[in-house]
Amino acid sequence: MSTPANAAVAIDGGELALGGGLLALVRPALDLLAPGGVLAIRSRNAGLRDDLPAWCRVEHHDYFGVERDADGADRHLVARGGLGLPAGRREAGFALAPSAEGERFTAATVLSAVPFPERADPHSGFAPRGARVEPGGPRYPFTLTERDRLAPPEVAQLYDQAVAAHWDAARDIPWAKIPRLPRALEAAVAQVMTFLAENELSALYVPARFVPQIHPAYAEVAMFLATQLADEARHIDAFLKRARAGGAGVGISAATTSHSLLTLLEARDFTEASFLLSVLGEGTFLDLLSFIEKHAPDEATLELARRARRDEARHVHFGLAHLRHALAHDPSLPARFEAVVRERAARIPQKAVPAHVQDALTVLAAGDVTPSAIARGHEAFRGLLETMREGRVKRLENAGLDREQAERLSELHTPNFM
Amino acid sequence: MSTSSDDTILLGAVAYDPRVVTIWEGIRDHFQQEGASMDFILFSNYERQVDALMRGHIDIAWNTPLAHVRVQRRTEGRSRSLGMRDSDRDFRARVVVRRDAGISTLTDLHGRTLAVGSRDSTQARILPLYFLEQAGVDLARVKLLPFDTDVGRHGDTGTSELAVLQALREGVADAGTVGDLVWVTEQAAGRIDTALIDTLWATPPFDHCMFDALPTIDEGKVARFQKALFAMNWENPAHRRLLELEGLKQWMPPREAGYASLRAALDRQGLW
Repeated sequence: MSTPANAAVAIDGGELALGGGLLALVRPALDLLAPGGVLAIRSRNAGLRDDLPAWCRVEHHDYFGVERDADGADRHLVARGGLGLPAGRREAGFALAPSAEGERFTAATVLSAVPFPERADPHSGFAPRGARVEPGGPRYPFTLTERDRLAPPEVAQLYDQAVAAHWDAARDIPWAKIPRLPRALEAAVAQVMTFLAENELSALYVPARFVPQIHPAYAEVAMFLATQLADEARHIDAFLKRARAGGAGVGISAATTSHSLLTLLEARDFTEASFLLSVLGEGTFLDLLSFIEKHAPDEATLELARRARRDEARHVHFGLAHLRHALAHDPSLPARFEAVVRERAARIPQKAVPAHVQDALTVLAAGDVTPSAIARGHEAFRGLLETMREGRVKRLENAGLDREQAERLSELHTPNFM
Repeated sequence: MSTSSDDTILLGAVAYDPRVVTIWEGIRDHFQQEGASMDFILFSNYERQVDALMRGHIDIAWNTPLAHVRVQRRTEGRSRSLGMRDSDRDFRARVVVRRDAGISTLTDLHGRTLAVGSRDSTQARILPLYFLEQAGVDLARVKLLPFDTDVGRHGDTGTSELAVLQALREGVADAGTVGDLVWVTEQAAGRIDTALIDTLWATPPFDHCMFDALPTIDEGKVARFQKALFAMNWENPAHRRLLELEGLKQWMPPREAGYASLRAALDRQGLW
């Protein structure tokens, strides 16, 4: 037996048996050691003389034997074995909690202390970023494993904002303040709400498909998307409540909308889907929600459009950040986007805004069904299309596309807005 | 005598648990990747597997210590030993006791009830009884409570050892014999009440399972088998899954010294 002169770590096991809790001291102590590092275990449990060597054999630690201390206690020496060492550096040495009372402890603070890795290993599974991972775990089917294709640095701030901004569609909308509107106007509101809810349903399902693809090393992206999903859930709930609150009920779902949303649902690539949904679709919806807010015939409609727009602005912000980040690392993206938008346009047979939606927006903006009011409403609707076009071009340029490309893609955008 | 018409190594294993299929399908895939063609045949008991090896129906048998020494005896010591698990080396059996049974020496077992595992379990019956006798216990004065739960599997399932521990827990036995693998892993998993059950004695070490072949096995098969087997690595996730299922961290070369006590026990107990 070659006995090491000194143990790096020592514990006192008292009379604890191996199966009586001693391992709760031994295993963490061994974890502090590099392979070959020696642990001294003081013990007054005679059974350990048999059990400790047997356990070491099973766990592939080296048992060096037992000595008698001056006071008669056993002193076992165990060297840590080299099998199954967790990979990664021990996360220690910083305490992140805010020092001042009332200061927010944000996800952004955590992300800046524990930044995203450039790449993530699918074998680390659901291990949180920063965990040391035992070898030998199975490979997980995560496909989004590269920071630059997935995780813009501002995602944690957006997550923090989203959590702070959550509202309650049951409580925060002045539902009691819906007056009895003229029948045609109420029907228009209900139709617009139906259209919004249908589109928001797709905005709930599309990002949800990508969450399980995101490697948990980039959990903040999945967490942000979770807030986005919760936002969409609230919007769907609120829009449908408004459609039913005034007596008109839920309206018509257009084939154009259905065609358009299926192409979104079938997007296979996260960056492409984010581009189509968040930048083009939700971006266009910002202008639509502003329009509804401006022409809202009642306080409930105004409030829910305002709240939904604020949420959507966050989704667009994430989409743009994701895109800018991805474009900076992948110069082939603009060409891919153009191909995707062209392909999508070819799959949507209709070229005009769905008729029911067009009419409802016109009546909404008119506020009345007299010919002169409708003429104003029609102008407002045409103005909305132009605003949307300009907004799209601006957002695409903002994301990093050149002007010409931005205009081309905007032109090819779905007549369904989303 | 050639055991199969092609280069495929035919390996026999006993299906003591459904996971045996997973283990050997995985190891077969690994052998394939290593360029060694291997297939396996599953048996329901070791006696049938040893017969199949002796008749040349399989090239290699993954044998318990009992099957291993029987193959050696039937080949008059000329069989080939090809490899074992790290966990097969320096196995011990334990005599464990209820703390309230008042048993502090081996001879205190006289007049008491000793739960033992299956009659063909090396670690839970054959060797602990042999070693107890060697240490001065008169087995005629001990009331044995046997758990013959997996006869034919030579104690592989561990069920008879778990039954022994259960008998102690329930107080139907004062003491019991188990292998140290079950004893230590049950403790490490937090399933032993150490206030109730204690170790009385550990037997001297002995070795456990072994890959056996007839002396006539093709040398190429031996080389391919050992190369592929020893290439399995704990740090490789695909390998680790199989190694964990089979209860080892590393395959080891064979060694024979650890089976002498079992031969002596079989002589003594008339179990050949």
